Amino acid sequence: MLSIGFQTHVLGNGLTVILAPDRATPVVAVNLWYGVGSRNERAGRTGFAHLFEHMMFQGSAHVEKGRHFELVERAGGSLNATTWFDRTNYFETVPSHHLDLALWLESDRMGWLLPAMNQEKLDNQRDVVRNERRQRYDNQPYGDWDERLQAMVFPPDHPYHHTVIGSMQDIGSATLEDVEEFFLTYYRPNNAVLTLAGDFQPDDALARVERYFEEIPPGEAVPPVPGRTELDPVIGRTIRDRVEAEVPLPRTYLAARIPPLTEPDFYVADVATSVLAEGRGARLYRRLVREERIANDVLAFAFPLITGRSLLVCWVTGFPGSDPEVLEGALAKEVEGLANVTGREVERALALAETGLVRQIEQLSSRADLLSMNQLHFGDAGRLNTELERLRSVTAADVRSFAERLLGPDNRALLTYLPRKAS
Amino acid sequence: MARSDIPLVSLALVLDAGETSVPPGREGVAVLAGDALQGGTAQRSGIELAEALERLGSGLRVSTGWDATSVTFTCMAERLDEMLSLLSEVVREPTFPPEEVDRVRQQHLAELRRRRMEPTRLADDELKREVFSAKHPYHRPLLGSPESVESLDERSVMSFADERYGPRGGGIVAVGDLSPEQVAELADRHFGGWSGPPSPEEGPPALPERGERSVVVVHRPEAVQSELRIGHVGPPRGTPLEDPLRVANSVLGGAFTSRLNLRLREERGFTYGVRSRLSLRRNGGAFSIGTSVETEVTGAALREAMDVFERFAEEGPTDEELSQARDYLAGVFPLRMETTGQLAARLAELIVFDLPDDHHHGYRERVREVDLARAREAVRTHLDPGRAVVLIVGDADRVLPELESLRLGEVEVRDS
Repeated sequence: MLSIGFQTHVLGNGLTVILAPDRATPVVAVNLWYGVGSRNERAGRTGFAHLFEHMMFQGSAHVEKGRHFELVERAGGSLNATTWFDRTNYFETVPSHHLDLALWLESDRMGWLLPAMNQEKLDNQRDVVRNERRQRYDNQPYGDWDERLQAMVFPPDHPYHHTVIGSMQDIGSATLEDVEEFFLTYYRPNNAVLTLAGDFQPDDALARVERYFEEIPPGEAVPPVPGRTELDPVIGRTIRDRVEAEVPLPRTYLAARIPPLTEPDFYVADVATSVLAEGRGARLYRRLVREERIANDVLAFAFPLITGRSLLVCWVTGFPGSDPEVLEGALAKEVEGLANVTGREVERALALAETGLVRQIEQLSSRADLLSMNQLHFGDAGRLNTELERLRSVTAADVRSFAERLLGPDNRALLTYLPRKAS
Repeated sequence: MARSDIPLVSLALVLDAGETSVPPGREGVAVLAGDALQGGTAQRSGIELAEALERLGSGLRVSTGWDATSVTFTCMAERLDEMLSLLSEVVREPTFPPEEVDRVRQQHLAELRRRRMEPTRLADDELKREVFSAKHPYHRPLLGSPESVESLDERSVMSFADERYGPRGGGIVAVGDLSPEQVAELADRHFGGWSGPPSPEEGPPALPERGERSVVVVHRPEAVQSELRIGHVGPPRGTPLEDPLRVANSVLGGAFTSRLNLRLREERGFTYGVRSRLSLRRNGGAFSIGTSVETEVTGAALREAMDVFERFAEEGPTDEELSQARDYLAGVFPLRMETTGQLAARLAELIVFDLPDDHHHGYRERVREVDLARAREAVRTHLDPGRAVVLIVGDADRVLPELESLRLGEVEVRDS
């Protein structure tokens, strides 16, 4: 049982504040989750939530363009933000005597972003994001795997059908009106969780948080996620795709539609992927890499998503000249084979998961992030303290049943990349 | 080093067995030995070993670099004794089964092939090849060449381990929820009788020589982006001007608010990000600027990057920039030493680079003392745009005309 001490407060404007003091090192992690991600994007604006995240670093009413990074770096802090399907997070870790700076910067852009917006900033960041897309998706071997798999596993009207980065065209279509509307709809204190973890005294920190955030007005309730979020538990068939691309080695991806993070089955999925591919004792590694030697590397993980259904993904990379039939067949066989998983294999996975969780909590920034996540997605930051128990409750019988229900050929997307033949 | 707020221990065992110590013709054998090290021990097969480690909730990570091989793990503190016993078995009694060595060798060959196709890695490898002369070890990929890796087998790996795996020139660091006495006792129990091979006779490290400007385009037909690199040789780790040089590099391209990133990303929108970095090792180092940009702005981005670099090399940082960079580097330092794993990795550097015990302890102080004169001296001594290699991985047909108009020098085009 973990025992992270914390307090929860809700300000008058609806901002939820989690305070998790830890005086071990003179550092504080500030972590802010907004309940908005790519799932909230409307048609024709894919990628907008992420582009908007970039705009949050372009200055606000009292912070000039470029000053945000400068001030935090000058304070000896680190900072960043990430956009994901269901949420967007902003975070900085600073020496504890610079807590005010982090709070002020976050509050200024939560309260007063729009007065500082202009077309030039938007144009500049649209270019930066399009370059990000080129660099991470279009110019990378296998770079578009998630785009392809998401489109196979989720129908076009589901919010996970499109990726967080969005399409080149949509990124280019974003307007200042979009920025304003998105900000006023989603970037409101009542749609956010602010977590502080580290070296502070809770009463003092709360007073500071109130001073910076209290006057920011709340917004209306966030509109429902667009599209169809309820889906059948399984895809209904095996969908296959093979692409020739600029890749060095053949690689097969297998994806399945699985229950979301909010259901107990998600923990089973987590353990199942660990049995498959975490460490050298994992099945895919033992069988395909070590014994049969048909794979160069393997990976498996479950996306922690909350909207209707989620996604489990595994992959095996072959060798030059690998037969795609062999890769696809071997991967499918191992995934189905989880229906005979042993108690020993589950124990191994749980031992790894336990150390993994403690390592995450060790770092203030990820501890704060986990508290924010549990608060925003489950309404209870303290759920983190019982995470180990939920993991440990997973049994081999659970994994077997999960595999039988959800890892069969009626719930499968198979995507294989093959090196483009020399012309 | 004791740390008691979280019940974890991270440990690093450093072996004086880096790729620079490899004999000619055997390039890649140090990495191959490291990666095949968990193939089996005198007492258990590789699969049994993995099972034993992972049932303790941990695993060994073997990383081989130019200067050393290190074996690290993080475990719950109560598991340290069992983990050390397995570690000792792995390092002292490896069996290197032929099928395991061959399997890892095939993976390395595949990885070498993969690096040729990933534009960022291809650019990094090609830059090194251009910056370091053929007789310097850093000239080649760490993994070796396809020819050298092809020629390796279990015998070459075993003889490398026999010659290089031992306590001499290496050591153990541990960080976490245990007292130094406890760790010392456990280390003694599991490694006390280890003698290992005698110290190899090695001359002083051969420092690389500075080359001349060259301009190279590695042709990747129809690439949507170009990878840009600008670089030249740098000093070794522990060089007298290391701290001022790191501060200066932060101003030029080491931080988000650096001159390069502000100009290329925030003003021009040419890139998702641009960085300059120093890789300082025992046998010298490298300075490099790296970014990726859209194909059609390749020439413009290169012109901007060279402009920023040249001006910086001439003037050095301003007072204001210097003070910002000092604050940044001194401030973020403790943030990067937060976890037991990060601390153990940093402490292991003391062994690898033979640095004084208080090296990290005094770092913030030393950074804060860097003044304008020393920063400028570091820039003058170690940055040299006139001799820098300029390298582009991209569509030569589209980038050549602009590149030639920049008149950086004669352009050599190669196939990727």
